[in-house]
Amino acid sequence: MTLIQDRPEEHLVHEPVLMEIVPGPRPRGLVKYITSTDHKQIGLNYLVTSFIGFLFAGLLAEGIRTQLIVPNNHFVTESVYNQLFTMHGTIMLFVFLGPFAFAGLGNYLIPLMIGAPDMAFPRFNNLSYWLYLGGFLVMSCGFLTNNGAANFGWFGYAPLTEAIHSPGPGADMWIIGVALTGFSGIFTAVNIITTIFTLRAPGMVMFRMPVFVWNQLVTMFLLLLAFPVLTAAFALLWIDRHLDGHFYDPTHGGQPILWQNLFWFFGHPEVYILALPYFGIVTEVLATMSKKPVFGYKGMIGATLSIGALSMGVWAHHMYTTGAVLLPFFAALSLLIAVPTGIKFFNWIGTMWRGTITLNTAFLFCCGFLVMFLFGGITGIILAQPVLDFQLHNTYFIVAHFHYVMFGGSAFAGLGGIYYWYPKMTGRMMDERLGKLSFLVLLIGFNLCFFPQHDLGLRGMPRRIETYNAGMGWNFLNMISSIGAYIAGIGVLLTVINLFYSYRRGQIAGDNPWDGQTLEWACSSPPPDHNFEALPPIRSERPVWDANHPDQLTKVGH
Amino acid sequence: MKVEWRTVLGASLFLGATALVYGAYKNHPVEASGVTMLAFGFFAYGLLFGYLLLVYLRRDRIPRPEDRFDATSADGEGEVGYFPNASIWPAAMGLGMIIGVVGFIYGLWFTIIGGVLFFGAVFGWMTEAEAATEVPLTEDEEDTATAAGHPGHIDAHPEHID
Repeated sequence: MTLIQDRPEEHLVHEPVLMEIVPGPRPRGLVKYITSTDHKQIGLNYLVTSFIGFLFAGLLAEGIRTQLIVPNNHFVTESVYNQLFTMHGTIMLFVFLGPFAFAGLGNYLIPLMIGAPDMAFPRFNNLSYWLYLGGFLVMSCGFLTNNGAANFGWFGYAPLTEAIHSPGPGADMWIIGVALTGFSGIFTAVNIITTIFTLRAPGMVMFRMPVFVWNQLVTMFLLLLAFPVLTAAFALLWIDRHLDGHFYDPTHGGQPILWQNLFWFFGHPEVYILALPYFGIVTEVLATMSKKPVFGYKGMIGATLSIGALSMGVWAHHMYTTGAVLLPFFAALSLLIAVPTGIKFFNWIGTMWRGTITLNTAFLFCCGFLVMFLFGGITGIILAQPVLDFQLHNTYFIVAHFHYVMFGGSAFAGLGGIYYWYPKMTGRMMDERLGKLSFLVLLIGFNLCFFPQHDLGLRGMPRRIETYNAGMGWNFLNMISSIGAYIAGIGVLLTVINLFYSYRRGQIAGDNPWDGQTLEWACSSPPPDHNFEALPPIRSERPVWDANHPDQLTKVGH
Repeated sequence: MKVEWRTVLGASLFLGATALVYGAYKNHPVEASGVTMLAFGFFAYGLLFGYLLLVYLRRDRIPRPEDRFDATSADGEGEVGYFPNASIWPAAMGLGMIIGVVGFIYGLWFTIIGGVLFFGAVFGWMTEAEAATEVPLTEDEEDTATAAGHPGHIDAHPEHID
């Protein structure tokens, strides 16, 4: 049963929220970038840095595809090729996809969405950014060393990572760099959880927070459990490499499978750390652009919670072929996780159903997300079954699967998020025509690039091979895939041009250009220091909508 | 606080149950690592649940303004928290930590420089927080502080941030 809560007239009057801040002049320019404790500035630092990471890793990917465009190619040497795919994966996962969403958008938006003046630990927040930037620089500087950067794949399987197989500082810099981004992530997680638990505005109960904030909360809990395990695994690896340890060294009775267990116990929650915040972005964009509340709000949150819980118990589906894992257990949990994800899909479609849809770039990117991610999810269900995984393990089918999930899914949603929140961050709209063109080019390029890779995998092309013979039947598909990669690169560049162009020339946005629903649209664009002069009364999960449309108040049932 | 501690409790119990089931059926010695990690998750979340429950009980289960469906902005009046101004110390500390760990690769002298920078930054950070509690107040702030029962200073650690 749903009721429209009665809202006394006086609650619609804006009331000031008092807070005390330490007075003082606010720095500008470079000093502001380095010293700021403002969550919005730190969020922007993260967003810009991670986007640079995205472009850099994208460039590495174009190198990979150029090497594979024709058989027996010699664009790069085998060693450089190994470095390319290792650093492509590492930077995309540890520098772009994760921090872009949970640290960049999370920092910027969570305090705004829950009506807080800042994050709970502003200086700690700044420290996390520097560790993150340091990690990015340290791991990238591996390219400048004599032996080059790390070259053992982004999940660094032992014993290949042992000192005897991967000598040189490149691998050490990879370990240190990833560990630093890990610490940064842990600090951010502590900060965001504390902020959400203690700094919500009066009336912003947990079950009125935007779904984006809920997803961030669950993500942060996953991160808190996952990253310490990775750090521990790295500590053991460091002992192996430098202090004569033999944790992962089979010649001395060590266990390489132990590394796989530790790494994937981190690695699979990490995949959901890279996905859940993007689910949140999609939820917010679809709801706003459909001018409707989120369909099945509590179901959505329940689905997020169950995805988070189940994702802790599926790590060994990356290790079916080792023969050292309990297949039925991990297969069952991996398949189960499709259920809450499916609930989310129904709710997204339900949110759009009979809505008044604004078909703009942000909405298009999120629709692109729905289709691509669904496709990646279906191949995921195929791979979750051991019988099929034994056939497809380590082929290009896997590569296609996770690029559909991570790029077609998360990165599309992330770009949608940029188009959606850019007006709030800069005060200017992004150019719609350029944005739609970028979406179209990216969609075509992405599918040309990755769809043929499913077939390549089924034809037996292993991942990570540096070149291949002409007679394998892989030539045409690889050619198509590489051309698609270039087109996708152009699509991303169009968005980059749009970012710069709109920063100067974009239309002035105003406070609430999309007729948004959640609290971030209640303050000016860009928001002032400590965010809110006054808050609208919070009586549902979309307070700004209620304040702007008193005749269409959100129905609340509790 | 109720939703918060219940959520964390749920996560902890789920991990505990998963650890039990997985531990009962595992069939390879190295899988003990997975059981250990799940158990670690159970205890880690359990610790957080215990803390949140403690805070909840200490407040005599009285909901905070952000836990009440009918709270208005007026209920949140007063100090929200301590939000420091821009500070150089986090960047200095970050630089110290980065130089310090890069020293693991390139030599001890790097680590020593990083360590000096790190501890210097810790000291600077601490003294900055001390100084912030003694900032002279503007007239408006004096009124608010007096009304809140703390004439003359801003409480850097307000108790209702829990």
